[in-house]
Amino acid sequence: VAVDTVVAPPSRAAVDWMRRLRSLAALIFAIAAAVAVGAVILLSAEASPLQAYRAMLSGVFGSRFAIAQLLVEMVPLLIIGLGLALAFRARLWNIGAEGQFYVGALAGGIFALAVPIGFAPLAIALALLVAAAAGAAWAGIVGVLRARWGVNEVITSLLLNYVAVFYFGYFIRQPLKDPSGFLPQSREIPAAAQLPTFGNLDVHVGLLIGIALVPLLAYVMNRTPFGLRVNAMGSNPEAAQLAGVETRRMIVRLLALSGAFAGVAGIVQILGVQLRLQYGISPGFGFTAIIVALLGRTRPLGVLLASLLVSALSVGGDAMQLTQGVPVAAVHTIQALFVVFLLVADRIVGR
Amino acid sequence: MDWGSIIGPSALVSLCAAGVRLAMPTALAAVGEAFCERAGVLNLGLEGMMLSGALGSFLGAYYTGNPWLGILAGVLAGLLLGALKAFLSVTMKTEQVINGIAIVLLAQGLTSFVYGKLFGVTSSPPRIEGLAPVEIPFLSEIPGLGRVLFTQSVVVYASLLLVVMIWAALFYSRLGLAVRAVGETPAAADAAAIHVDRIRWLAVLTAGGMAGLGGAVLIVTQLRLFANNITAGRGWVAIAIVIFGRWHPIWVLVGAFLFGFTDALQLRVQAAGGGINAVVPYEFFQALPYLVTVVVMVLSSITGRRDAQPAALGVPYRKEAMSR
Repeated sequence: VAVDTVVAPPSRAAVDWMRRLRSLAALIFAIAAAVAVGAVILLSAEASPLQAYRAMLSGVFGSRFAIAQLLVEMVPLLIIGLGLALAFRARLWNIGAEGQFYVGALAGGIFALAVPIGFAPLAIALALLVAAAAGAAWAGIVGVLRARWGVNEVITSLLLNYVAVFYFGYFIRQPLKDPSGFLPQSREIPAAAQLPTFGNLDVHVGLLIGIALVPLLAYVMNRTPFGLRVNAMGSNPEAAQLAGVETRRMIVRLLALSGAFAGVAGIVQILGVQLRLQYGISPGFGFTAIIVALLGRTRPLGVLLASLLVSALSVGGDAMQLTQGVPVAAVHTIQALFVVFLLVADRIVGR
Repeated sequence: MDWGSIIGPSALVSLCAAGVRLAMPTALAAVGEAFCERAGVLNLGLEGMMLSGALGSFLGAYYTGNPWLGILAGVLAGLLLGALKAFLSVTMKTEQVINGIAIVLLAQGLTSFVYGKLFGVTSSPPRIEGLAPVEIPFLSEIPGLGRVLFTQSVVVYASLLLVVMIWAALFYSRLGLAVRAVGETPAAADAAAIHVDRIRWLAVLTAGGMAGLGGAVLIVTQLRLFANNITAGRGWVAIAIVIFGRWHPIWVLVGAFLFGFTDALQLRVQAAGGGINAVVPYEFFQALPYLVTVVVMVLSSITGRRDAQPAALGVPYRKEAMSR
């Protein structure tokens, strides 16, 4: 006769904590592994990994200027990353943020240039609104195609990046070109629409916008019916549909929303950093932000921390290139390795 | 604008010839991808595999002075990333969309790093000796078609042959049957003693090798130099073309030719319409191939049968899932 031993099932809170612990362990392993492989890559470039990493650290934290640079670089990654986190949570893979960033920058920039408003808060708010709408519309195309005809959003969103960047190039070369200069770039954004800096660091208020979005998005994701539907779509789309989630409408909304975030990031970069529409306004923010969203586990607070880490790597990479002569692409490789190792580590800890 | 120079009879022939040449890299990658997706693995890393194939072939040809060894190096580079993709997707069973994107980002970082370390930033990038076109006797004298198909580089002929071989393997061999079974109903294939994961590994490696070859062909027969992101989205276009071609190698090839033709046409119109002050800005032409790809993919998604897509595409196969 078998003797039943009654074991109380672990409490829900305990299970939850175990899960978080595992998730954290996987994350730490992934970062450590990527940094280790990064060291091998640096060795292959005949650089001392220790010196290179030290150069990165001092490049990031060595001076007030460096810290300011870190925070400025973090802003677009944070804002785009938050929008992508929202879409990724519902398993909608928007990889067109780069194009949506350009479209937002273009539309918002045109507005700021064409409609001179003396009252700074209004000028900035309206430019942001226009950029958000433009980014949402551009990504909305992808959403409608996916919702209406099941066209794979990964590929359409990616291909539209090229279209957006080429069209942006046309606008700054022809209709928007500053007539007083030779370069393909627009006039400078009117002073009223430029983002002010705050504190005694030389960082524009876009950082505050990005940080303010973190609790807002966390609230929407975790405490509202909308957030509930997003999570349902992510964990089980069929069940979500059965439970009455209008999946099609949600697909359009979520892709448009993530596009709006990218569009806002674009105009913030123009009003806060570039001050003109010109070539090279993004060194691939839209793609790096994919890594940020994944590394942040599609949680707003996680995205904030991830954007800090990834931005530190980018800024540090620039410093490393200057002092150690290692191509900055080494850093991009390490950033991509984060994701590769995270996928593997998640599988190993059974997440 | 002189339209005769663009779409007149003789112009049309050279346009088609250019289209075939421009289509080849994309076609190779797309046919490899179709094979891979038929086995149920969605490989979004294609762009990265083409890019690494491009760098591999450039380095191979640059250091050995032999374009053929360059092509070999390109294929090996593609295979290497294919192995990573197979490990992540088939062995580790991680999310295929994410691991594909990660592979593209990884390849972009690595190729740029390696090239930057070896050559630095130069005003005149180093070039390699490419492969010249070969006119096939008699066949190349067929009016029209002869010039389109039979005055190409040897690599183009070999590539076409390879595409036909993959098509034949997919539909008329045991292996192809296994590939299709694994992509449609892996559980049934497993029950029929087919090693699902082994077949999928093979299919992903095929896609990697073919994409590497595509990148190599781009460098060795056309560009003869390397730059960051030189594949310029061809890998993504290739994935779209697979959908357009309904996962059938021959239709995929046709789709790639359509893309190549658009590319050739936009280059020609740009050149003929000419200059910085043209009526239609050149950026619109540059965007055209991508836009056409999107439109064509949408049209084929609207009109096409939904069941053409392999049923198990993107879904990792777990044995224990049956007993649960």
